[in-house]
Amino acid sequence: MAIAAAAAATSPTTARTTATLSPPPPISSSSSYSSAQLNFGLPKSTARPRTTAGLSISCTMTRDAAAAVAVTEKDDSDPALWSRPDAFGRFGKFGGKYVPETLMYALTELESAFNSIRNDPDFQAELGGILKDYVGRETPLYFAERLTDHYRRPNGEGPHIYLKREDLNHTGAHKINNAIGQVLLAKRLGKKRIIAETGAGQHGVATATVCARFGLECIIYMGAQDMERQALNVFRMRLLGAEVRGVHSGTATLKDATSEAIRDWVTNVESTHYILGSVAGPHPYPMMVREFHKVIGEETRRQAMEKWGGKPDVLVACVGGGSNAMGLFEDFVKDKDVRLIGVEAAGFGLDSGKHAATLTKGEVGVLHGAMSYLLQDDDGQIIEPHSISAGLDYPGVGPEHSFLKDKGRAEYYCVTDEEALEAFKRVSRLEGIIPALETSHALAYLEKLCPTLPDGTKVVLNCSGRGDKDVQTAIKYLKL
Amino acid sequence: METHHFHFKTRRHNYPQVVCANHRVTTSKSNVNPSVLRLHNYGNPTADLAKERAVSADETKRPSTGKFGRFGGKFVPETLISCLEQLEVVFHQVLQDPEFQEELSTALNDYVGRETPLYYAERLTAHYKAQNMGRGPDIYIKREDLAHCGAHKMNNALAQAMIAKRMGLTAVVAATGAGQHGVATASACAKLGLSCTIFMSAADMEKQPSNVDLMTLLGAKVEPVRPTAGSFKDATSDSIRDWTEKLGEVYYLAGTAVGPHPCPTMVREFQSVIGRETRRQAAEKWGGTPDAVVACVGSGSNALGIFHEFVRDPTVRLIGVEAAGFGLNTGKHAATLAAGEVGVYHGAMSYLLQDEEGQITCPHSVGVGMEYPGVAPELSFLKETGRMEFYSASDEEAVEAYRRVARLEGILPALEASHAFAYLEKLCPTMPDGAKIIISCSGRGEKDTETVFNYPIS
Repeated sequence: MAIAAAAAATSPTTARTTATLSPPPPISSSSSYSSAQLNFGLPKSTARPRTTAGLSISCTMTRDAAAAVAVTEKDDSDPALWSRPDAFGRFGKFGGKYVPETLMYALTELESAFNSIRNDPDFQAELGGILKDYVGRETPLYFAERLTDHYRRPNGEGPHIYLKREDLNHTGAHKINNAIGQVLLAKRLGKKRIIAETGAGQHGVATATVCARFGLECIIYMGAQDMERQALNVFRMRLLGAEVRGVHSGTATLKDATSEAIRDWVTNVESTHYILGSVAGPHPYPMMVREFHKVIGEETRRQAMEKWGGKPDVLVACVGGGSNAMGLFEDFVKDKDVRLIGVEAAGFGLDSGKHAATLTKGEVGVLHGAMSYLLQDDDGQIIEPHSISAGLDYPGVGPEHSFLKDKGRAEYYCVTDEEALEAFKRVSRLEGIIPALETSHALAYLEKLCPTLPDGTKVVLNCSGRGDKDVQTAIKYLKL
Repeated sequence: METHHFHFKTRRHNYPQVVCANHRVTTSKSNVNPSVLRLHNYGNPTADLAKERAVSADETKRPSTGKFGRFGGKFVPETLISCLEQLEVVFHQVLQDPEFQEELSTALNDYVGRETPLYYAERLTAHYKAQNMGRGPDIYIKREDLAHCGAHKMNNALAQAMIAKRMGLTAVVAATGAGQHGVATASACAKLGLSCTIFMSAADMEKQPSNVDLMTLLGAKVEPVRPTAGSFKDATSDSIRDWTEKLGEVYYLAGTAVGPHPCPTMVREFQSVIGRETRRQAAEKWGGTPDAVVACVGSGSNALGIFHEFVRDPTVRLIGVEAAGFGLNTGKHAATLAAGEVGVYHGAMSYLLQDEEGQITCPHSVGVGMEYPGVAPELSFLKETGRMEFYSASDEEAVEAYRRVARLEGILPALEASHAFAYLEKLCPTMPDGAKIIISCSGRGEKDTETVFNYPIS
């Protein structure tokens, strides 16, 4: 079948497989998909998937036939009833495991390992100890007094703004929560070798950091172009003991590095664990990464109760792949009275074609193993996204965000480079906190949000990273 | 008015030499009795904080001299004396003001991110044990690198900015060497809505440009000092001069435990939160106190911050590590306690580095924050009374330590803190199995990656 042939074509060491994939015509498991990505060669279809009540899918993706699972539309406006994800790793129609045969076993193994540690008190204690003493948790929930004053209306009314300080974590961003969790999981699985891909280097540095801490071999794939632009981050990763491999194919940027990393994993799956940096990718990654980050929201709930005896009214977070947002949102998804707001990058503007506003302008397709919204052109080719912030510069988005958007549980907006830079400067000068450019997108959205909020609304914004890495860029563009 | 003539060399400053009134000048060594640890403002560290402060306030009801044995003091122009006295009054007020303390405590927790962890460095410990047949000390790292702005400097900058606000001042001036104190001050001023001017030497601005950018972004004005030469010491002189000119309008925010009284005491007081947390965390983790506490010594604020709590515990070794630069015998170093002499500098009597003509030498270290030719008077006192041990580490050893800690623990320590880590190479083989060492990681080293990158590998 198409998948098997394509998989064999790209990885010479893969054994020929005879898996069959036979989607019934009305629902195609692939809509438009870029062959530049993972060379699955899925049939390109211009028809968008339609949901039909009472239809069953027989979708065989393993050697053994799996029982058909009925897909029925129920009245599921209650978030408590949603399967996030279901047994196939789907969030509604999003998510799933669109990967070569050779990776199926690794993913299943990963999933059962993860499920076993979920309730293992020893693992949780070890993880908790590292998060506390090494990463520096719990991170504070900080009342941003001057920012609150800034948004106070002339009659004295306005929301109260709190910042969840993920910027204070070791390595300066939320990314390490997941990196630590996954490396402990990898150790439990007996893996000695860790691989990861990185764009600007943040995830690479976080991965190299945890590998140094636990003494594991670490290989980071990075686009050759990115390596040139981020020489210092490359050096950092090498200092931390990691090997940084340049990827020269394609545009020599993040998506190419991702493909290379996946190729490595397919080849070395027994010895190697692949640390995916966000809530994207094939199941169980979106669920796993979310679970490792959900400590953010759990702490927030407790801290909110301590500080004002209630829950937050609105949660705001920037969305690139979506991990920091899911980390903050997860504990509150079932609380319908808490608004969830994600902010993406509008780059030069939504009409310019140079942006990364996946949930606003994207269409549904399969990327990096999961069905989700993604930015593609009419030929189904992935559009090279643009944002001034590297971390938001991803043409896809986590499938769970796609699900929450379609369900109307979360709202998604976007903000331009310029607005983000303004927010970067504003918060630096009002609070003495220099936020990452990614985070600045969420902070920029406050400009539009705050005037609409009643007096005393509690807003918690995830300050997902610190902005030291962005200082040169900001100074250049702000002409300071 | 009695006039005193100095019996020891004074440094030539640009402001006029004045006769010093209002303080006792100790001229003979017989005034120093090392057997009496009469340490100014030391209360019982384990007592209730307010009580301790009440005790020390009692001690200082008379206008205090700010002396630590023969060190310290207020060697400043007349015009600054009343300013310093006023500052001291406010300082003692805030120490006992529960509202101020609560506001400070909330800010330290929510803004700065305290308390910082006491982290068991498993792989570093194993590394040293492996060199000694599996026996060696347990190494714990006090993670000041995790504080907001990435160094311990914030503890003091925030508290003093709050004092400035309380005094009704709207502008703050400070001097910075490597830039960490400048960044912390700019940050605190932004948070409190104060305007901020930072003096930084042109040479330092070139060595740490990222810190200059950070300060600018935070809304501070960075004033380069003496474009052709100069370092932190000159930046300090310039900012003190600026302060003298604008008394009553501007608050001088001392970044480290040097300068005229009450600056050393204030800075030490605000940094001592590090040691208090450490004691509690050590008790939680192994039910005791550390056997040795190791910290790098530039001017001394992070060292005092962690040492102060343990000064009265005789079983706790206090170990300071200075910068040996290219080597103690090359003259290109910053090891004040090791190679300096006693004199007055920047308003206080302390050890300092000077040449034969009594000119302050220009110190050198790969860790820019270590490049101060003086040292906190309180540390001079701890050295003279033998309470503290001091050693030094060269540039090369510090860079090696940076790489080692990065590789083994995934932590990039600031090059300043790396000097302390470097000393572990000599310390660990001498410590008994299971001894507890706490090392202060006073800052994070992302700012130093480029320096390490360019450092010639031998």
